Amino acid sequence: MNNVRKVCDDLYWVGANDHRTALFENIFPIPRGVSYNSYVLLDEKTAVFDSVDWNYGNEYLHNVEETLAGRPLDYIIVNHMEPDHCASVGLMHQAHPEATIVSTEQAFQMMDQFQFDFGDAKKQVVNEFDTLSLGKHNLLFVYAPMVHWPEVMMTFDTTNGVLFSADAFGTFGALDGVLFNDEVNFERDWLPDARRYLTNIVGKYGPQVQAILAKAGTIDIKMLCPLHGPVWRSNLGWFIDKYDKWSKYEPEEKGVMIAYASMYGHTAYTAQVLASLLHERGVHNVAVYDVSNTHMSQLVSETFRLSHVVLASVTYNLGIYPIMHNYLMDLAALNVQNRTFALIENGTWAAKSGDLMEELLNTQCKTMDIMSDRVTVNSALNEGNRSDMEALADALAEDILGKKSK
Amino acid sequence: MLYQCTEAHEAFRKKVRSFAEGEIKSLAFSLDQNDQFPDEIVKKMGELGLMGIPYPKEYGGAGLDAIYYAIAVEELSRVDGGVGVICSAHTSLGSYPIAAFGTDEQKKKYLTPLAKGEKLGAFGLTEPNAGSDAGGTETIAELDGDFYILNGGKVFITNAPKADTYVVFAVTTPGIGVKGISAFIVEKGWEGFSFGDPYDKMGIRSSSTAELIFNNVKVPKENLLGKEGQGFRIAMETLDGGRIGIASQALGIGQGAYEAALAYAKERVQFGKPIAFQQNLSFKLADMATQLRASRLMIYSAAELKSNHQPYSMEAAMAKLYASDCTHKIVDEALQIHGGSGFIKGIDVERFYRDAKITMIYEGTNEIMRLVIANHIIGRPPKKARAVVEKAEPITGIRKNQIFTGTPQEAVDQLVAALKKDGYDFSVGIPVDTPIVDAERVVSVGKGIGDKANMDVARKLAHAAGAALGSSRPVAETLKYVPLNRYVGMSGQKFRGNLYFALGISGANQHLRGIKDASTIVAINTNAGAPIFKNCDYGIVGDMHEIMPLLIKAFGEGEKKPAPAFKRKRRALPKKLAPVGVWVCMGCGHEYDPKYGDPENGVAPGTEFERIPDDWVCPECNKEKSHYIKVQFQKNRS
Repeated sequence: MNNVRKVCDDLYWVGANDHRTALFENIFPIPRGVSYNSYVLLDEKTAVFDSVDWNYGNEYLHNVEETLAGRPLDYIIVNHMEPDHCASVGLMHQAHPEATIVSTEQAFQMMDQFQFDFGDAKKQVVNEFDTLSLGKHNLLFVYAPMVHWPEVMMTFDTTNGVLFSADAFGTFGALDGVLFNDEVNFERDWLPDARRYLTNIVGKYGPQVQAILAKAGTIDIKMLCPLHGPVWRSNLGWFIDKYDKWSKYEPEEKGVMIAYASMYGHTAYTAQVLASLLHERGVHNVAVYDVSNTHMSQLVSETFRLSHVVLASVTYNLGIYPIMHNYLMDLAALNVQNRTFALIENGTWAAKSGDLMEELLNTQCKTMDIMSDRVTVNSALNEGNRSDMEALADALAEDILGKKSK
Repeated sequence: MLYQCTEAHEAFRKKVRSFAEGEIKSLAFSLDQNDQFPDEIVKKMGELGLMGIPYPKEYGGAGLDAIYYAIAVEELSRVDGGVGVICSAHTSLGSYPIAAFGTDEQKKKYLTPLAKGEKLGAFGLTEPNAGSDAGGTETIAELDGDFYILNGGKVFITNAPKADTYVVFAVTTPGIGVKGISAFIVEKGWEGFSFGDPYDKMGIRSSSTAELIFNNVKVPKENLLGKEGQGFRIAMETLDGGRIGIASQALGIGQGAYEAALAYAKERVQFGKPIAFQQNLSFKLADMATQLRASRLMIYSAAELKSNHQPYSMEAAMAKLYASDCTHKIVDEALQIHGGSGFIKGIDVERFYRDAKITMIYEGTNEIMRLVIANHIIGRPPKKARAVVEKAEPITGIRKNQIFTGTPQEAVDQLVAALKKDGYDFSVGIPVDTPIVDAERVVSVGKGIGDKANMDVARKLAHAAGAALGSSRPVAETLKYVPLNRYVGMSGQKFRGNLYFALGISGANQHLRGIKDASTIVAINTNAGAPIFKNCDYGIVGDMHEIMPLLIKAFGEGEKKPAPAFKRKRRALPKKLAPVGVWVCMGCGHEYDPKYGDPENGVAPGTEFERIPDDWVCPECNKEKSHYIKVQFQKNRS
C-alpha cells in the first residue's frame, strides 16, 4: 500500500509531503507544509524524474518500487540539483544501479561537489534541445538557467504535452492527497503561498523567468508537473499570467500595503489612522502589517501583489528601524521594481527615517517611485499632521481609484 | 641677453600710459560707481590701434608682437582693470580664433573690423554646466540645409551685450564629449540671439558681462570656424593666448595698487616719519615690487615665445597663475597700507582690491592653471572611458514639463484645464498684496513685462488667478515696478505655496532656488530654450502680453471668494526612469550596469556591454560574455 497517484497515462506521482519542516530553506516558514514531487514514467523504457528530500527517502523508494512493479529503471532524470529534490538521487541509484543518470553538465559538476558517489554509473549529459525516446514518449530537454539555479533544465514530453518544470510553477503547501490544481480552490487557498514561494525564491530572477516563458510560448503545454505543489492540468494560462506579472515586477492589484515599524505604538497608530482614511475614501484593498511580527517573506510577497506601499518607520539609532531596514534590503535583493511608495517617518528628537528610506529606495532599488506627500510625526500623531495625513490619503486614493476624491 | 624690453616697446608703453592717465583715469571712479561701459574710450582705443595689436596689417591690425599687446593690457589695467579686460577679451578671445582658424573670407569680413576697433568681439564658451569642464557643453547647433540652428545659452560672457561679433562654441555631435564641439562666428542682431541683463559684478565694473541666449538662431554654414569637431581645440588654443592677456591685466592692477600704496606710504606720517620707513611696511613694498617684476618677466617671456611661434601654453598658464595670485596679495597689502582710507569708495586701491579677484577666476581658474602646468610636466593621467554622468536634476526638481502648443487660445485653454484638473479653484483668491511667503499662489513677472503700464495687466492677472503679485529680481531692483520685498528668489522672498506663474522670467538659478518648493510651476516665455521650461510643470512658449489677457478671461475678472485655509497640494512626480543597457548573467544572475562597468577587470565605467572585449567573463561565476541577456525594463509604467 503506497501513496502514489496517477497523473495521466503512463505517468505517476511518487513524491512526499512534509509537515515537519518548520522553515523551508531554513528561512521561510511553511505552516501548511510542502510537497516534494517526483514522477515515474512507464514506457518501453522507464524513467524517474528528480527525487525528494533526504528525510523522505524511505517512503519515496517504496513509492517508486511499487510503481515500477519489478521492472528495471532505465533513466534517472535530474532537472534540478537543489537538495530538496536531488538528495535521494543517490539512494535511487543504489537501488537501481542499472539506470542511466540524465542531466546537464553543470548538474553533474554539482553532484560531484555535493559528494554523490555514483562509482561507474552510466551518465548522459544533455545539451539544450537534445531529445530522448522512451518508446511512445519522446522527451525534449530545455535549459532554464537561473530559474533559480544555473544548472536547471526542464523536460518536455512532446507526446502528451507534459512539462516537468522543476521549481517553476511550484508552491508551498503539502498536497495532503490533492494532485491536481482543479481539486482545490487554488486562488483562494493556495495563491498566497504560491506567490510567497515564487517571489521570495525566484523573485530576483525576473529576466530569466521571462526568458523561459518566451521559450515555453513556443511549445504546446498541456500539463505542468512542478517539483512542489499541485499538478496543473487546467487554467494554465491564469497561472502563467501570474508568473508573467511577477517576473516583470508588475503589481497584480491596485491597492495599498501599509508596513509599519513601531516601538511603542505611536507609529502603529498613525498607520491605523491612514488605513481608516483610505477606507473612508473608498480604497478597500488595504493590507496593514507590523514588520516586527510579520515574516519578511510575507512582506515581500505582499509587495509583489500590491501597487502601493506606505512605509511608516520610527527613527532608530539615527537610522531606519532595523527590521524595516531588513525588509527594504530584501526588496532590493529580490529586484522588486515598479512600485509606488509613500513615506511616514517618526522621530522624537531627529526624524531621519524618511530621508533614509527614500535614499535606500532611490539607490538600492530600480524604478521605485516615491510620492512627494511625506508625513513627519514627532513622537505621536497630532492635530498638526491632519492636513498632511489627509493629503497622503487623498493622493493614494487618487492613484488607486484613478479619480479625484473629496 | 638682456632681460628688458626694446626701446620701441618702452615708447609704446609711454604712449598707452599717457592715453590711460589722460583719458581714463579721471573717469575710472564713475565708471565703476555707475557700472558703465566706456563706449567713447573703446572707440578711441580703436583709433589708437590698441584693438588689433598682434594681428597683421592686411587685416587691419598693428602687426606688432605679443609683448606690445601685453604692455597695452598692463598699462590700461594699471589705471582701470575693466578697460584692460575689454581690450584683452576683444583681442585674445574675440579676435584670435578668427585670426588663427578663420578662412580668408572670414578674416576679411570679421577680423578686419575687429582689429581696426570698428567692431567689438567676444567669446562664448562658459555655460551653467560647462565651465572648467567644456565636456558639459549643452548649447547645440544642428545642421539644417545651409544653416546651423543654434539653441542654448552662455553665461559670464565678457563684452556682452556690447560686442558685435561672438565666437560661440556648441555641440554639433552629441554624446561624444569635447570631440563633438564646434566653433561658430555669430553676429549680434541675428534673429533669436538675445542677452540677459548685464551682471552686477563685484569688480571690473566698467567692463560689461552678460548671458547669451540662443533661440533657434540661424547661423550660415560659412560661419563655422575651422572644421566640425575642432571647437574644443580652438577654445583651448585661444585660452592659451588669453592667459597672457589676463596675466597682463593682473600685473597692471597690481602695479597700479603698488604705486598707490608706495605713494601713500611715503606721504602718510605717523610716529614722526612717513610710514614707508616702518620696517614692516617697507618689507611689504619690497615684496610687492619683487612679485611684480617676477610676474612681468614671466609674462613677457611667454609673450615672446608666442611671438616666435614656440610652444608657450605652459608658460602662459604659469604667468597667469603667478601674476594673479601675486596681485591678489598685492591689492590686499596695498589696501592695508592705506588703512581706513583704503576702505572708502573713491580711493583707487578700493577699486583695485575688487578688480583683482576675477583674474584668479576667469579664462581658466588658477586651479585649472595648475592642472595645465601639471599636465605639461607630468603628462596626462592614463585615459579612462568617461563615466556616464547622470544628468543633473533641474534646480526645482523633476517636474512634469508639459508644454501646451497650438494657438495662444488653445494653449491657454489646455493650461487652465490642466490646472483645474489638479484641483485649483479660481473662484477663490487672496489679496494681490499678500506677502509672498504667506501666499498660496503667486503670479510673477520678469523683465519681459516691458513698460510699467503693463503692470496693471499683471495685477489683473494675479487677481484673476487668485494670487499675490511677485516679480523677478530686475523688475524690483532695476525697474523698481514693485517694492524690493516682492521679488522672488534665493536672495529675495521664497515661495513655498502651491501655484506659481512665471511670466517673461527666463529662470536664473537664484530665481529657481526661490521657487523649488512650489507644488506647481507654470512658465510663459517667448524663448523655448529658457531654463524656466526645464523647471516647470506646465508651459506655454509665447508672448506674455498675448497670453496674459487670455488667462485673465479664462480665470475670470470678477470678485473672488476668500480662499480657504492654505492646504498644501500634492506635487506629482514623474515616474522614475529605468536603467539603460543593463545585462544579466544566465549563470548566476550578476547584473552588468554600464554606469559602473567592471573596473577590477579592466572595464571602465561608462562602457556599453556590447563594447566589452569578447574575452571578458562574468566577474562572479566566470561564465562567458555570451551567457548574458539584456534586461528589459517595464515601459510606460502606469
